[in-house]
Amino acid sequence: MKRIIGYLLMCFITYPLSAQFNSEEVQREMNEGTLAGFGTSQVKDTYLSPFNYSGWGARILNERMSLLRRMNFFRQQIISVDISSTQNPAENVNDFGAFVDYSLTYYYRIRTGNNFSLLPGASAHLMGGFIYNTRNGNNPLSAKVDIDLGLSVIMLYTFRIKKYPLTLRYQADIPLGGIFFSPPYGISYYEMFNEGNRSEIIAFNSFHNKLALKNYATVDIPVHGSTLRLGYLSSLYYSDTNQIDTRILSNTFMIGWVKKFVLR
Amino acid sequence: MNRLLTSVGLMMILFAYGCEMVDEFDTSPRRNFDACWKILDENYCFFDYKQIDWNSLYGKYSMQINESTDERELFQVLASMTQELQDGHVNVISKYYFSSYEGWFQYHPANFNWSVIQNYYRDGERSGDYDEIRYALLAGGQIGYIYYGSFDESILESELNKIFGTFKDCKGLIVDVRDNGGGSLTNSDRLASRFLDTKTLCGYIQHKTGKGHNDFSEPYPLYLEPSHGDLWLKQVIVLTNRRCFSATNNFVSKMRVLPNVRTLGGSTGGGSGFPFTSELPNGWRIRFSTSPILDINKQHTEFGIEPDIPVTLTSEDIEKQKDTLIETAIQLLLTSD
Repeated sequence: MKRIIGYLLMCFITYPLSAQFNSEEVQREMNEGTLAGFGTSQVKDTYLSPFNYSGWGARILNERMSLLRRMNFFRQQIISVDISSTQNPAENVNDFGAFVDYSLTYYYRIRTGNNFSLLPGASAHLMGGFIYNTRNGNNPLSAKVDIDLGLSVIMLYTFRIKKYPLTLRYQADIPLGGIFFSPPYGISYYEMFNEGNRSEIIAFNSFHNKLALKNYATVDIPVHGSTLRLGYLSSLYYSDTNQIDTRILSNTFMIGWVKKFVLR
Repeated sequence: MNRLLTSVGLMMILFAYGCEMVDEFDTSPRRNFDACWKILDENYCFFDYKQIDWNSLYGKYSMQINESTDERELFQVLASMTQELQDGHVNVISKYYFSSYEGWFQYHPANFNWSVIQNYYRDGERSGDYDEIRYALLAGGQIGYIYYGSFDESILESELNKIFGTFKDCKGLIVDVRDNGGGSLTNSDRLASRFLDTKTLCGYIQHKTGKGHNDFSEPYPLYLEPSHGDLWLKQVIVLTNRRCFSATNNFVSKMRVLPNVRTLGGSTGGGSGFPFTSELPNGWRIRFSTSPILDINKQHTEFGIEPDIPVTLTSEDIEKQKDTLIETAIQLLLTSD
């Protein structure tokens, strides 16, 4: 595991440096897509409650995909903001969640046919947010901050229905390891932030205490010289640290537009 | 190749759906009883200090639960079981019922009479728009008096400056927190920070590090820092009674560390566990102490803090519309150097 993370760190340190030396010819083309949508959300955080809360979620996602001059390399940046409102099984308490995700991923494209491309990549991911329980007194909030390195893969398939060219994309992101905010089992935010006991609140994370997976599928449809994008994002986050279990699951259907920029 | 990649993609989507989580609303008396017992078993912090055998209490109260137990009966069983913890911070709360242990103040002298106290600040000022904070000059302006009735109410630093400005020519100050049942530690610390000029160790806090009854962190020191506003470094007497609970118990624990402070009246009510909230499958709320706050000697104050100067409000003084505690404090402050 340490070796994989070492490679990923080298990738993120050395690739941007080498790219800077050729800055005048780095980017040729960029797609920017902005999507918004609604879906379902399920939240369980045993710091707040032993039970699963379910309800709705909404997400805004901005994605920038750049083709780099270096042949077959792509850079993707995704910023995603999602909020959720969920209820306990008795439907008398609400959790509100709000999260911001940022990921930076470099891909290498492997063409496996005229219409199909496979892009494996390595990513850095930053996530921050909170779950707020409307009824709890001194433990109303569970904050989340994660910094990860991970793997990503994109599969692209282009085809036509009659005369319309369509592009299907499936993307999966999975973090391999990193660090995250991990407060001890029964500590209060009063002790951590009012009294300053922050000695054991950061922990290393990997598959032994965290599993996160994002499945992202889109279809691009040309409409009157522009491109409509329909998307589906499934996000699973599971962590088990200091005997605090967190599970956040969302399924979001999104719609938005894609703009293409040519940078010469 | 295509088939392989398609299969991998489908597997990942199915995996995400396979992790669907389900918890259903459940009014089963057995499941709710077990959930209540388990939440306290894994989180309550005073089992050993109070020498409570939680497993034997499971046997005692579990026998009273069966599938025909109705909602009211279930509540009564949970209330009785949680009252064995002798902790005012432990509550079971349903839509219609509220259980609370009241032994921490029952059977103790009240040491407080609201109508008598009003005589002392009737001619004084009420602090701005605050309901719970009153202050006045007593003994011909020689003694300052402030009553803080609930630390649920926060006060601005500018208001505290105004109050302490009023007291600047006084010889001593009475801080009356009788019948203050607690509230926010931030508010109690804000007031306490007016009575010291250097950062001072005033206690410790622990938290649970696991689900075992003895899984505790090392005591973490709690310091009180002086306010940036007007300070009061002359003599102070804090008036206490049994209804000083939770954050007020903590306020008294911190104040008595300071060299210019004495406490007078009755024992406080305790409540030194920092409470968390959880819930049962039927949606009822449960509150419980989870982090012990210790005094400067690393001792629990869960059952209260004895005053430096024990004084009881007498019925003779009440008849004369006098407060024995305030009168004693005035005399002590006027005669002390």
